[in-house]
Amino acid sequence: MSLEDIANSLAATPLAMEMTDSTWLFGAVESIHVVALTLVLGSIALVDLQLLGLVGRDRDTNVLIRALLPLTWSGFALAAITGTTMIFANPKGYFENFFFEAKIVLLLLAGVNVAVFHFLVHPRMTTGGGLAPRISGGVSLVLWLTIVSFGRWIGFTI
Amino acid sequence: MTLLHDFAVRLAHSPLNSAVTARSWFVPEIQIVHIVAIAAVVIAAVVIALRALGLIDTDRPPHAVVRTWYRVILIAVAVLACTGFLLIASEPGRAPFRTVFWVKLGLIGTALTLTAAHGRVTNVFVSRTLALVALLVWIGVIFAGRWIAYAEGWPGAFS
Repeated sequence: MSLEDIANSLAATPLAMEMTDSTWLFGAVESIHVVALTLVLGSIALVDLQLLGLVGRDRDTNVLIRALLPLTWSGFALAAITGTTMIFANPKGYFENFFFEAKIVLLLLAGVNVAVFHFLVHPRMTTGGGLAPRISGGVSLVLWLTIVSFGRWIGFTI
Repeated sequence: MTLLHDFAVRLAHSPLNSAVTARSWFVPEIQIVHIVAIAAVVIAAVVIALRALGLIDTDRPPHAVVRTWYRVILIAVAVLACTGFLLIASEPGRAPFRTVFWVKLGLIGTALTLTAAHGRVTNVFVSRTLALVALLVWIGVIFAGRWIAYAEGWPGAFS
């Protein structure tokens, strides 16, 4: 089954019809996507800036991560659900779009970065900071800003 | 209405309009800065709410946390106002002639007022309520903002 077959079968679903026929559904899903991405980007950026040592020097990073992590994950789940729903409006268009393809790759890279931080960097982190947490934070910040930018570019190029 | 109309016409013929429409990538990039600034507002409102609920920065007095993050909100709103104005300059006949744009401005004023008031109250219940309502109002601002793209313009709107 090729990507085009998948696109065609997605386009034939009732959800796809609803997304293209409705005058308000796409906009509503997109608005929720924007709310979700501000939660994801905002909470991740705050942790990244702290890892980089640019904010909250007197705050324990673990406390910040513990407070924000549920928000990051629920925001991400919401963004993933609404993002997937938006694909149904034009599956072929998305699959052929450079910014969409690049965004998926960058999301996977961001996932790898999270895994590296969670399993390798975070357990060995001392309160004084260090180079590894800074790299994790810097890479994460650049990746997520690019992901959000590419997401906006999809809307202009699809 | 004629005042708004004249303003839009003048803006459409201004050098600013020529500048922001000179390259096709300017408007998307301005929108990206706009979205990143929105994320800054949302996270600031979230931190204020988390502090009000006693989940973060509990070693700092609540008012100090509100003050710090209110400043972040004000800076981000200044960035939003600048980028928003550039977006209007790129298409002056659009946003100002849609009701939802004015609803959005009203909601921004409401959210800022709620957070400013939050910095003055001492009652825990009131401060929690103000923080959570302000956060909800900001989410309303995002919806209203996105809806500018979908709403119908006023009859006879300048284009």
